[in-house]
Amino acid sequence: MSGSNGIVVSGLRREFRGGIKAVQGIDLEVAPGEIYGFLGPNGAGKSTTVLMLTTLLPPTGGSATVAGFDVAGQGAQVRRVIGAALQEAALDNYLTAHEHFELQAGLHGMARKQRRARAVELLERVGLTDAADRKIGGYSGGMRRRLDLALALVHRPRVLFLDEPTTGLDPQSRSALWEEVGRLAGDEGVTVFLTTQYLEEADVLADRVGIIDRGRIVAEGTPNALKAAIGQSSVEAVPADPRDRERLADVLSRFGEPASASPKGVAVRLGGGTEELVDVVRALDAAELSVAGLQVHEPSLDDVFLAKTGRSLEGAGDQPAAEERAAVPA
Amino acid sequence: MTAFGQVAVAVARRNLLVTFKNPALILPAAIFPLVFLLAFAGGLSNLANVPGFSFPSGYTSFQFVFVFLQSAAFGGVFTGFAVAADYESGFARRLMLAAPNRTGLIMGYVLAGVGRFAFTASIVTIAGLAAGMQVDGGVVELGGLLVLAVLVNVVATLFGVGLCMRTQSMQSVPFLQIPVFLILFLAPVYVPLDLLDGWIKAVAPYNPATAFLETGRGFISGEPDHVLVAFAAAGAMVALLGFYALRGLRKAEAGG
Repeated sequence: MSGSNGIVVSGLRREFRGGIKAVQGIDLEVAPGEIYGFLGPNGAGKSTTVLMLTTLLPPTGGSATVAGFDVAGQGAQVRRVIGAALQEAALDNYLTAHEHFELQAGLHGMARKQRRARAVELLERVGLTDAADRKIGGYSGGMRRRLDLALALVHRPRVLFLDEPTTGLDPQSRSALWEEVGRLAGDEGVTVFLTTQYLEEADVLADRVGIIDRGRIVAEGTPNALKAAIGQSSVEAVPADPRDRERLADVLSRFGEPASASPKGVAVRLGGGTEELVDVVRALDAAELSVAGLQVHEPSLDDVFLAKTGRSLEGAGDQPAAEERAAVPA
Repeated sequence: MTAFGQVAVAVARRNLLVTFKNPALILPAAIFPLVFLLAFAGGLSNLANVPGFSFPSGYTSFQFVFVFLQSAAFGGVFTGFAVAADYESGFARRLMLAAPNRTGLIMGYVLAGVGRFAFTASIVTIAGLAAGMQVDGGVVELGGLLVLAVLVNVVATLFGVGLCMRTQSMQSVPFLQIPVFLILFLAPVYVPLDLLDGWIKAVAPYNPATAFLETGRGFISGEPDHVLVAFAAAGAMVALLGFYALRGLRKAEAGG
């Protein structure tokens, strides 16, 4: 993939002072123009990986190339072809959006004539034209995120790194950002490496997903393939009369193994897939069982995480976060 | 322009923009030297009558050189504050991420320091002239004083950049100010070197600030003295602290 817009990572490691191993030998490949979702709880090693791939932190082992350039030995070349919007939008409260563009374009050595035109184009694209001459100090969180994304695009990067880009955004801003990221990959062929702890974000946006836990990739593939690999859909029914719970369990057991359910309900995995739902309804009707609720659960990426690590992704980050503790400069 | 130059210009421009847009940053840098000039040149002017005090251009000129060089040094120190603030706010990451040539960042901060000093130097000079400062040196001598002051400014900036890239915290500010204060005040600030007494007389001749002050005063009075020593000391400090700043940058790169 050398020379293309892809990312190739092999045995990448980062150990911090005190022996904290934030990333423990990860391997991954991102194809040009692909949106790769890097999913994991807080402290899993997502941000440390991004810091290494963007040349902000040297790896302590392994190798990685971005657009064909080695992140350890060709940092300057890597920085020329990447854009990045990191977790905290690093903006200067005393500068306006236009002044940020001037700085960003200047750092990348863009010609003065092109700077203004590119700034106008990007500000319009992220809906900040009216606020372009206001100091950033007065921007909302969503506006800061959008400006940060626009700044990352100023020099037309071939690879874009987005580190939890929608954390703290309202649903409207979140979907607008998703749309823009999708457009960048689809229309402009930009490779996007996106970290997130939101399952929905990875599911909706990413062509492929890598799930990282405690510094190791535990699963990788397309969201559908990952979900299909770990199991079947399940159906959960809640009896209208709680005394019918036993009978309901008997009927449902004909369709598959028991699955976890709410306290009042009974659930089973559907061995034959969601097509069996009609048969389930018929069986309940035949048994004259009245139900207060009937729900089908499709496998989620959380189920994938649960299957691979034995823990749920939501809440997994509550455990001691090696990455956060290690974020102190060594 | 090379990537080094592009980065340096962009960083310097941004720093000066922030400085001049923010009164809290620029006013102290301008007011402190003015206060020193008024306090020293006005309140202590009778020191010129002390037996053995011989400075033909008068006490205001004598003190002006100290204040001029002090404002040069503190222009650099304030630039160091800006580096620390950039790290604390996370803005330094934007610079590290976008700069193809990161050494250009150091040069950008140095240029910003010189820009800050240009502002305070203008104010201090206007104030000195308004206070009746006598200038006996010619264009070459005054140019020499300016170059010397710029070198002092660069030295202080490089020290500030090197320290703050290591600590990445505003908590390091006292460690930035104290050495500069010590070096400046362990020099013949109020009277010539010959009139110093006690332990400070033993220390002052080895202090590079003494050479800077004596040479600067020689320039303004039209009688340059110790020029080679002063410029050699300033050049050596630029080289030494340039290396210190570069090592600071490498440490910042290694730490993320």
